[in-house]
Amino acid sequence: MQTIPIALAAPDMVLAREVRRADNPLGPPICGKGTELSESLIERLKNLGVKSLTVEGCPVEMEGMKGLDELLADLDRRFCKVADVPLMQKLKELHRLQIVRNSGGCP
Amino acid sequence: MTARRDEILEIIRDTRSLPTLPGVVNKLQALSENRKSTIEEMARLVSSDQILCARVLRLVNSPSYGFYRVSTITNALILLGVNVIKSLALSSSIFEIMEKSILGLWEHSLGAGVAANVIARRLKLPEVEEISTAALLHDIGKVIIKEKCPGDFEQVESLMKARDVTMLEAEREVLGTDHAEVGEWLVRSWYLPDKLSEPVACHHDVARAEAHQVKTAVVHLADVLVKASGFGFSGDEFVPRIQPVAWERLQMTDADLAAIVEELEDKLVEAKNFSLEIQSADDGTA
Repeated sequence: MQTIPIALAAPDMVLAREVRRADNPLGPPICGKGTELSESLIERLKNLGVKSLTVEGCPVEMEGMKGLDELLADLDRRFCKVADVPLMQKLKELHRLQIVRNSGGCP
Repeated sequence: MTARRDEILEIIRDTRSLPTLPGVVNKLQALSENRKSTIEEMARLVSSDQILCARVLRLVNSPSYGFYRVSTITNALILLGVNVIKSLALSSSIFEIMEKSILGLWEHSLGAGVAANVIARRLKLPEVEEISTAALLHDIGKVIIKEKCPGDFEQVESLMKARDVTMLEAEREVLGTDHAEVGEWLVRSWYLPDKLSEPVACHHDVARAEAHQVKTAVVHLADVLVKASGFGFSGDEFVPRIQPVAWERLQMTDADLAAIVEELEDKLVEAKNFSLEIQSADDGTA
């Protein structure tokens, strides 16, 4: 799955997470998981102020989009100065899990 | 080395050389010091300068505050408080420079504002808006160094490349000062309150903060978390360590950290969208 700005959403993409109103993020979902997007639906979501969508697969090649290996190498480099600090290694592990989870579906 | 430091301090003192501050901001300063002035008066004043008004509203609607569609200065003043609006008005021209020429730093600052907001809400701290504002401003010294001392800035960059040191270390070596101190001078020269200037001054040395240790600790942690997530570019990519004193001051637990990192991930997507929107809006008008 992939989270994309709504400007890049296109018909036939399928929602991987439910969508909630931007001004009421804890409220009920306005569009369920698994919904297929259409032009008119995207327009309505835009009008409701929705800024981003999480969709199935990896439909959008975003600029600077990196592969899993590259992302993990970047992570290692970012944390290279704090390799001996246990707390920072915990933080790094949280990010590693996040990167791996987000790359599910994106080769 | 200290000579260079004094020169930079002189540059900051000479307000004429700084990014232009509209006359409105000076009047706003006077109004906010007068206990009898009202929100309406201040709102009318800011609204009288359309460009300033637009810039302030743009910052108020940034994901750093988590409000959406604040459309009038009056609402912004009520929601965020006079201090916050005053500092946004003062710094809006510097953010304008960031948006246009130092996009990575602008995104880093925006991301730090978002992170500070997430941390402060999670820990149920008071004055969330002030904390977010301090985080938005925390690297403002870097803009001044780059804009006012481009030669020094290049030296800092080449030193970082040559020796693989952090930007902070390179600044101290080249300038005899660093962006935290320069930012502090700038923010103090605007007479912003200590609760904003201290986090800017001490975000790399939380133990030095006196009156506002909690706010400083949040800004420090926000800086670290944004760098950890790889969002934006603050000058170097190295994640600094979370200072133990900040961790203790905030009484953070591992569970808090995990929850904050999780929430921040979503919020940073919003911040990216916001930044993209601003860029496309600027392209449209250019």
